[in-house]
Amino acid sequence: MKVAPSAPHYAIALIVAATLTLSSAPRAAVGLEPACPTPEGFAGFEAPVPKTAKALAAGSEIVIVTLGGASSLGSAAGGPSLSWPSRLASALAARFPAARVKVVNLAMPRQTAREAADRLAREVLPLKPMLVIWETGTMEAVRGTGVDDFRDTVQAGIDELRAAGIEVALMNAQFSRDADPMIHFAPYLAAVRELADANDVPVFHRYGLMRHWDESGVLDLRTRESEKRRRLAARLYDCLGHAMADFVARGAGAVKPPGAVEPRP
Amino acid sequence: MTEAGRDLRLDFFRGLALFCIFVDHLPDNMLAQFTLQSVMFGDAAEVFILISGYTAGMVYGRAMERQGFLIAAVRVGHRLWQLYVAHVFLFVVFMAMMAYTVEVLNSSLYAEESQAADFLKDPGVAVVKALTLQFQPAYMDILPLYIVLLAALPFALTGFRFWPRVVLVASLALWLAAQIDSRIALSAYPGPDRVWAFNPFGWQALFFVGAWLGWRGTRGALPWLDHRWLFRLAAGFALVAFVIRFSWTLHGLYYPIPALASGKLLWPFLSKEDLGLLRFASVLALALLVARLVAPRARFLAGRVAWPFVICGRHSLHIFCLGILLAVMGHLVLNESFGRVLMQLVVSAVGVGIMTAVAALMDWFTAAKAGGGDRVAERASLSGGE
Repeated sequence: MKVAPSAPHYAIALIVAATLTLSSAPRAAVGLEPACPTPEGFAGFEAPVPKTAKALAAGSEIVIVTLGGASSLGSAAGGPSLSWPSRLASALAARFPAARVKVVNLAMPRQTAREAADRLAREVLPLKPMLVIWETGTMEAVRGTGVDDFRDTVQAGIDELRAAGIEVALMNAQFSRDADPMIHFAPYLAAVRELADANDVPVFHRYGLMRHWDESGVLDLRTRESEKRRRLAARLYDCLGHAMADFVARGAGAVKPPGAVEPRP
Repeated sequence: MTEAGRDLRLDFFRGLALFCIFVDHLPDNMLAQFTLQSVMFGDAAEVFILISGYTAGMVYGRAMERQGFLIAAVRVGHRLWQLYVAHVFLFVVFMAMMAYTVEVLNSSLYAEESQAADFLKDPGVAVVKALTLQFQPAYMDILPLYIVLLAALPFALTGFRFWPRVVLVASLALWLAAQIDSRIALSAYPGPDRVWAFNPFGWQALFFVGAWLGWRGTRGALPWLDHRWLFRLAAGFALVAFVIRFSWTLHGLYYPIPALASGKLLWPFLSKEDLGLLRFASVLALALLVARLVAPRARFLAGRVAWPFVICGRHSLHIFCLGILLAVMGHLVLNESFGRVLMQLVVSAVGVGIMTAVAALMDWFTAAKAGGGDRVAERASLSGGE
């Protein structure tokens, strides 16, 4: 992210900050369980994807494409309908009924960054998305792919998407206590952040968010028993979907979610 | 070298690097934000390899001069054997960790992806590939590098004797080639596109520059190293590197703080795999500053504060392995106790304490075994000097 946002960004940021704090309460009613609270400071002041946010507010037709691995496909919860992209779609539909939001989930189990990048021209660009959310870095960490290589691949992908006028957001790996001694996530998390900084592209910090939920007791990520684990995954993806909806919609504060109490000045 | 003539700076900074490696290896450790890697381009690995090259050049260079190529080469071979055994030990630690982790992982949200780690399918192959240094999971990447570099040392030392410039230029040319052409790498297991975590063709330059400095240092000073402009250049570079790198650390901790010079233009020069130019220059600049600003036996280095660093650096191989073992155990502790910041600090401190205690025990034992006299000095200098 750039240091000095442009002046309009500041203006939007202030409005958004004011409206979001006031309108966050009613959203809890959307899921069966209350949405997972995001930590203070998770949301920056700038709109991460301003073009998409504006289009949401204006009620236009929007295509969002998501790329990633098994954790974006919802495998652990039992199916794509419970994945975070799917939950993102319903959260956005609930908040912006006028906007026709279509989320196309192109995640595939064990998809590497290179495999995802190879699909951009053939499968992503023809969908004419306004926003691509790219979950990446997991398979690279598991397989120990060279970090330089990984960074170059994602960089080329970002360039390709931006050349087509598409907004890009990155999402990093899942948090896991258990995987850490075997799988080194740190270099790949750092690479995703560097990519974001260098390109002024936002990162949805899934690793940090899951860690926060785990540590604050919102979710017990260490659940082992298979049925409980399936429910945990469903809830996790629901929470991620909602947090992502907040993330994407930040800056679209002009539209209130249905049923939101109109703030009194 | 006698104990009185020992360069304590080598021990101290190698000890510092060992502590940093341990702290960096603890999962999500807050303290890792403030180790060497946050104040320079590069991290403890550069410091470790440079000092290892320097001491190896010094010790074996002298051996070669006094006892000839063959004896020196056999001594290097003996050391290689120790390193190899240590590598196999770490592999056993890794396998034990994996045995514990696999079950847990397979019933976690990571099941789908962690099963894609190919070595899980065929642990037998992983064993063979570990023995051939090609399997380098987390923690097991720096010893293979050290082993291949040290294996080449006798030839480099012979070269130094007759054509030092040719050897140095060849080494730097190979480094440059590795920067430019990504195909200059060693393949690793598993997978088609996996390479050594530390590319030996890049990293050899740091090791052999260190070895040359160590070798050259035994035959009198290099006047140009004392030039004022060189010192200023190094100081200026180290300062700029510090400011830029530390801004990245702060940016990571608190997002509104800007990350200076974070453009992708710098990436090729920051490659850890190939030892990018900025990493190379950063560690050399720091080494020059230390060499000029700290006397070999400065009072501070003989003092109480520096003592844990010095003794750990003196027994570096053992303490390195111990550090890895402790990092793995520390992981288990943090995993069970909801690794918040306070617990991370406690685990880090306990680990450093254990490393120090074991190093102290080894120091005492080495001295006691030798029974005093000249042999103590000779042994102590060898055990840490190689």
